[in-house]
Amino acid sequence: MVDFLATPFLWVVATIVLYGIAYWGYAKWIDRNVWRSDAKKTTPAHMYMDGVEYFPTSRYVLWGYQFKSVAALGPILGPFIGITFGWLPALIWIIAGNFFIGWLQDYGSMMLSVRKEGRSFGPITYEFTGARGRTNLLAFVLFYLIIISAAFIALIASFWNAFPGTFVATIGIILAGVLCGQLLYRFKVNVFAVTGIGLALVVVSIYLGVAFPVSLPWGVWNVPVWAFICAIILYAAAVLPTPTFIQPTNYLAFYPAYAAIILILVGALLTPFWPIQIGSFVIGPPAPINVQMPAGPFLTDPQGILGPIWPILFVAIACGAISGWHSLVSSSSSSKQLDIETDALPVGGGAMFSEGLLALASLIAYMVLVPSFFAGRTNVAAWVAGAVVLTSPFLGNLTAPVLTTFFGLVLIIYALTVQALVTRFFRLVAGETWAEGRFHALSNKHVSTVVGLAVPWGFAVSGSWWALWLYFGGANQLLAGLAIMLITIHLARTRAPTRYSLVPGAFMIVTTLAALLWQIYTFGNSVVQYLGNVPYPSGTNADPSVWILRNVRPPINVKDYAFVALGINAVFVLVGVILFIAGLSMAIRLFQSYRSSLAEARAKAPAAADGGSRED
Amino acid sequence: MRQLGDSKGPPHPKSRGRKVRDAAKGVLYGMAAHGHVTAALRTRMYLEHLFMFITLGDMLGVPVIPPYYSLKILPYAVPNIKSWKQRVFRERDFTDQVF
Repeated sequence: MVDFLATPFLWVVATIVLYGIAYWGYAKWIDRNVWRSDAKKTTPAHMYMDGVEYFPTSRYVLWGYQFKSVAALGPILGPFIGITFGWLPALIWIIAGNFFIGWLQDYGSMMLSVRKEGRSFGPITYEFTGARGRTNLLAFVLFYLIIISAAFIALIASFWNAFPGTFVATIGIILAGVLCGQLLYRFKVNVFAVTGIGLALVVVSIYLGVAFPVSLPWGVWNVPVWAFICAIILYAAAVLPTPTFIQPTNYLAFYPAYAAIILILVGALLTPFWPIQIGSFVIGPPAPINVQMPAGPFLTDPQGILGPIWPILFVAIACGAISGWHSLVSSSSSSKQLDIETDALPVGGGAMFSEGLLALASLIAYMVLVPSFFAGRTNVAAWVAGAVVLTSPFLGNLTAPVLTTFFGLVLIIYALTVQALVTRFFRLVAGETWAEGRFHALSNKHVSTVVGLAVPWGFAVSGSWWALWLYFGGANQLLAGLAIMLITIHLARTRAPTRYSLVPGAFMIVTTLAALLWQIYTFGNSVVQYLGNVPYPSGTNADPSVWILRNVRPPINVKDYAFVALGINAVFVLVGVILFIAGLSMAIRLFQSYRSSLAEARAKAPAAADGGSRED
Repeated sequence: MRQLGDSKGPPHPKSRGRKVRDAAKGVLYGMAAHGHVTAALRTRMYLEHLFMFITLGDMLGVPVIPPYYSLKILPYAVPNIKSWKQRVFRERDFTDQVF
């Protein structure tokens, strides 16, 4: 008798069913009754068609593009922290967050941009909140990008350190990408042939990685050195022309990255059926693969590090439930290529639900591991270990080192490809911010790239990655809340129902500001307790310096570097305060704009209850 | 004018299998290559802006090359003037540069 409840199978099926209800029920209802999407309305793609930025594109192509643009490391690593509170709350947030908020933001951002003639969030923010609001957004985005970069550089360095086979494999993929770029653009070789050559080189790179593992000999200094190497690669990616480096590398990286997710989902669906008997052959492990992690819910982190389930869980799992980054993608490029308005739901909403499945696959990879993997929350190898557990039964001919290198490489390329784009984007935003004035030297492409990598490198080698991740999640989710408020303002102005976006928007803003406050408190309290010489309350070591050492990573988390750690804690307090103030100020402007928009719309509303016309 | 991966195909009805195959191809193309294709188009657009600025700078009061050569090139540049104007006058923002 197969015990479905003990394996992840049931949760995969339940999530898919609930996402189906969300898409075909709630989302379709919102599309019809709130936004009233109309296939006959001319979209910006037709209105301003130029064949470059504005052109109508098939919804299937756009769905693929949108999904690829939004799916990165977020849905993979968020559940690693989220599972701290038990896998059940993490799963509920992945389902409910996406059901009520996540898709609504992605789809709403796209529709808002379509209804605003394809304009992106900068001009829309300017229209709704004025010049100061847009400047505020710019400042927020700059800090947001620094925090993303810090988190991703820290993770890439940790992955190279944890999986010795992955460095050679990563370099192999990059070189293969550069070669493919040359073949494609310089020698005009057919794209299918280039893809074949590139994929063969990717396979060779993985085997070379297994054959020639690279481990640095400097112990606790390894991660800072890896982070420095990562920064050099990112510098090249940011300043070189995209067809030379980023484009072909990202193209090649796409194949292993998505193959890994499909393999994990297949593995999760097969968990209750092991061992499988075909004739006289028996395949797979001797027993079904069961869930090992506790379901929870734990209202606070049992390890005493992260804090309460609210607001931490809601910022720890960002992408997969809701992510502000998606609103930038939806409004900056996809909206300009939407063929008809009714495509916004499958493209924006559909891609977000698909990303929820990616987060689910990752959560399942963690669920099948024993709790000891999560002690101290430093074991970044956990996802890889879970992926190997799920997939090795049906990929029996591939050895554990090959699979470990493969899944480790997947983690790295997810982070590296997005981070290359983030570094480039930072360079462009810096160029815009400091184009004039005393600091115009910072707008130089080399200077801004170096700044955009040096500051995150400093954070990456000093702060524990989970602390950075929570700041990243807080900033990212806050951006999502702000995006939902922009959507709500537009709906208020057009006299459409606003409660379906106002409530999620307010929830996200309050939650993320609370999370940022909590993080500020965590770092600030450590500083205060240490300076007050207060003994650390738990563990055998009552030394007051533990207050500040717990928030930093090796090599700084030893007593000899207590003053350095103190400085880092203080800097993190400052970063948190800046993010909080920028976010709060933006939120206040948006709420004020919402209220005035509502009042204006009511003043214009017809006296008779005939509803009036809602969209111009 | 139909463009990349346009959804409206030829008027004859497609079989279900053909539709599924086209959708799968579209998804794969969108995931793997669409972003790169649009990035390449954008790069070409900026190069074209530069070319038009150099050849037709006179129109903007910026004589980059002598008018004699501008006039010689004019017939070749004329078909692109409309879309050039459209793109150059378009409002742009840092949030347009994400992807």
